[in-house]
Amino acid sequence: MPPDLERPSALNRDPAAAETAARVAAEVMETMFFTEAVAADCDHDWLEPACAARVRFEGSHWGEMLLALSAEAADPIAASFLGLDPEELTDAQRGQVIQELSNILCGALLSQLWPESTLALSSPELATWEEWPDEGTLHRCYTLPEGRLAMSIRLAAERPGQ
Amino acid sequence: MAYAVLIVDDSPVMRSFIRRVLGLSGFEVGECMEAGNGEEALRQLSAHRVDVILTDINMPGMNGEELLRRLCADGVLKTTPAVVISTDATNERIVRMIQLGAQGYMSKPFTPETLREELERVLGERDATRS
Repeated sequence: MPPDLERPSALNRDPAAAETAARVAAEVMETMFFTEAVAADCDHDWLEPACAARVRFEGSHWGEMLLALSAEAADPIAASFLGLDPEELTDAQRGQVIQELSNILCGALLSQLWPESTLALSSPELATWEEWPDEGTLHRCYTLPEGRLAMSIRLAAERPGQ
Repeated sequence: MAYAVLIVDDSPVMRSFIRRVLGLSGFEVGECMEAGNGEEALRQLSAHRVDVILTDINMPGMNGEELLRRLCADGVLKTTPAVVISTDATNERIVRMIQLGAQGYMSKPFTPETLREELERVLGERDATRS
């Protein structure tokens, strides 16, 4: 393992990382999606039908982030991002905005966690929510005026392919 | 004075968002053009007068880095300021894009006010260089 590749257990044991995740999510949602995200206790009943997207990253750190937006929140959040009425929104636009949200949140979080890193993000893809093992996963749930948001991020134990 | 802006991003919703934020910012936008990657941007630049370029980095086809190289190598286009808009706020990336010729760098998330301030700064520098 290269010296700059943190072990996967580091993220979920680092209180500063959890605090950074809460702060970055709030900033992203307020600044670019014109809503308010408040860190909340986990309640995952809503996650199965949620709209989710995945982003992978590689470079000085390797891993992936999974983001979910509750079904009732997806349309108002996407419409707000685009300055449209929810009735005007297409399925394609909804999906693209959720992908963009995952991209922005992942990039902002990684840049805050490791500002001296060298990272490349994959193109976000729509996904189905997965529950990842607690060990090694930084997971946070948030409440929004429109619904719920959840985010999980984990580091690979070793570089893919090795 | 209203400025002609070229937005270069492979995500249609991100291009729409930047248009929206430009409108919210109070920055005076005249013509606002869009391109999905560097090749499309160069085609737009060959056909239209553009005051400032807002470009993403990761795009299929010609990416933002190559677009900056092409702009710097062009005797006319090198005077058109380019501002990178990216999710990547790592120090190495910012330095690299500035070295490639970007006049500004905005990391997401950003507010309408910070976008306007950055555009006014790079256009002010451009005007100072020309006068």
